[in-house]
Amino acid sequence: MAESELSPKFAPFIGMAGIASAMIFGSIGAAYGTAKSGIGIAGVATFRPDLIMKCLIPVIMSGIIAVYSLVISVLIAQDLAPPSTGKHYSLFTGFMHLACGLSVGLTGLAAGYCIGIVGDKGVRAYMLQSRIFVGMVLILIFGEVLGLYGLIVALILNTKSKG
Amino acid sequence: MATRRIAAQEKSLLNKDDHTVARPSASGQKSNTSPAVPLAVIVKLLAFTFAMIVLPIGSYFVSVDNLFKGNSTYAGALAAVMANAVLIGYIIVAMAEDQSDETDSSPPSADGSAAAAIKEGKKDR
Repeated sequence: MAESELSPKFAPFIGMAGIASAMIFGSIGAAYGTAKSGIGIAGVATFRPDLIMKCLIPVIMSGIIAVYSLVISVLIAQDLAPPSTGKHYSLFTGFMHLACGLSVGLTGLAAGYCIGIVGDKGVRAYMLQSRIFVGMVLILIFGEVLGLYGLIVALILNTKSKG
Repeated sequence: MATRRIAAQEKSLLNKDDHTVARPSASGQKSNTSPAVPLAVIVKLLAFTFAMIVLPIGSYFVSVDNLFKGNSTYAGALAAVMANAVLIGYIIVAMAEDQSDETDSSPPSADGSAAAAIKEGKKDR
């Protein structure tokens, strides 16, 4: 890799930081969502074991947050190439990959936090009042859409590296 | 009203717990640890777990070269769509199972107080 002003030596470092931040922050969010809603499910299932199947929805949604991060990480990783292949990795691409990773990672963190709290309180409320189920799923979807917005922004940003 | 029903149910469960805890030590009765979940539910959960792991990332790698000719953005979007499809499928299956529970538990109504309480809770909905 020929070092130039547009593609300095440290540019891949920035891109790698993007991959790592996508996966790390997204997994933190997904783990919080899974754990917090799992606490609620464990509390509900002691009294109403027949509700477990429907109460598992927040856990599935937390898994989706992690899938978003995984998709973006794989996408960024396919753009990277070792210097021995002679490709240029510009500083612009590096910062863009950092933006991709941070946008999907931090929105995943926000969405996982939201899903965790809503999932915990929601399934406990669902045990007492079953009509809350539709509202709980709707709130969970709106929380999960936050992560989807981050994914969309990251996908759009990622198309700019081909230019 | 719902709060009142649950408080009563909670108390009865606690009472039952006390009996079962007190009895085995006295009569040497074996505790029943066989899974209370039917096999169909376990298969369903395992299938969804497998789908959640394999389907999004698998659809990405299959479609990035075959379907979209190297355009990884569309393939990534397809992976996200597949993850959401798994979620929607899970919600549909969970709702269907809840309704099948309702139809199954309605004929043997003389099952016990717990079944009656559950049925009452479902009627509440």
